[in-house]
Amino acid sequence: MTTTAFEALARHEAHTLGMEGLPLLVIPHPLGGEPPERVAARAAAAVAQLAARLGR
Amino acid sequence: MGRAPLASRVIELDDSLEAVETYFLEQDWTDGLPIVPPTPPRVEAMLAGIDAEPELVVGKIPPLWGEATVEKVAINAVMAGCRPAALPVLVAALEAMLDPTFNLYGIQATTHPVAPLVIVNGPAGARLGMHAGSGLFGPGNPANATLGRAVRLSLWNLGGARPGAGDMATQGSPAKYSYAIAEREDANPWAPLHVSRGFGADESVVTVFGGEGPHNVNDHVSQRAPNLLAVVADTAVTLGSNVGWYLTQSQLLVVFGPEHAATIAADGFSRADVQRYLYEHARLRLGTRKLGGMWGLQDWPAWMACVDDAALLPTVSSPDDILVMVAGGPGKHSAVVPNCCFSRAVSRAVTRWPG
Repeated sequence: MTTTAFEALARHEAHTLGMEGLPLLVIPHPLGGEPPERVAARAAAAVAQLAARLGR
Repeated sequence: MGRAPLASRVIELDDSLEAVETYFLEQDWTDGLPIVPPTPPRVEAMLAGIDAEPELVVGKIPPLWGEATVEKVAINAVMAGCRPAALPVLVAALEAMLDPTFNLYGIQATTHPVAPLVIVNGPAGARLGMHAGSGLFGPGNPANATLGRAVRLSLWNLGGARPGAGDMATQGSPAKYSYAIAEREDANPWAPLHVSRGFGADESVVTVFGGEGPHNVNDHVSQRAPNLLAVVADTAVTLGSNVGWYLTQSQLLVVFGPEHAATIAADGFSRADVQRYLYEHARLRLGTRKLGGMWGLQDWPAWMACVDDAALLPTVSSPDDILVMVAGGPGKHSAVVPNCCFSRAVSRAVTRWPG
């Protein structure tokens, strides 16, 4: 799981470690300094992404 | 018996400095400054400075986990402009950074402007020609400048710490170009840093500290230790600093200028007294912590969140987490180097001297 700003780093490292196809759960950046309702919205979106990746 | 041939790829380029500089910049192999072309003879000469085989693996450098063999490190040392005598110190510094305690992954990839500060103690300082006097954090001394730059180029090329990619620092720091110093052991009224960390005075030791740039402590008037240390303590704690939020990983390095160190020692303060005083005075009120910074993300002992808002909270776990050394020239300035709060200093003896 990563924010959009760190996605490139995450993908590069997954590639370096031989996990090219590692599914990443990407949420909008930033997470810090956000009000609780926006964090909750991102969490809800993340759950939907996770469910999609699990094929549900 | 001679060394094994170099394992690295040889690249043929036009025989001009401009062609080499252009190529290395295009490959993103430099920090943006010109480099010394790492020709095979130069790399061989660099390797003659260390008692280690070129294929020896120092470790894998995060976040992209490139393999740092002695040969690869030597190539970066050549590019940085190092003399061969620096290679054993550079390798020891990288070994120290790869100790899990140092958390090099975090230091490389964080948004915080942290850079590994390399502190050289013992005979290695003179052997390399390092500078510990006036303006030691700044330009002018080739040994300091090139050792620090070789660290950066190794982290850049082998670890992939490029801004916005492997290195996610929001703003970064000039300390990321080069950050290497020696201690004024001759001006330290207490034991040198490496002796305080368990090494013999005659050992060459490198200490790596994941720090911000140095924060100035200006005190032209204090003539008593408590007054002067109060100014140091005030410099050491600011709400915008990382230090104090993850308490077990928070450390402060205090680099006393020789005149400040002499003033404090003249009042009978030992190193332990200095550490204890700063531990007790470099504090913020709980209510101040609650204003922002990393409030809500802290990792503290339970008691710290149960006290009154007026309670003064420690910045580090113990007095031992305040490292004390002496460096600089004439003048009434010292420096505090806060760490990033997710790394701890590591020291290593430099042992791979040739012959």
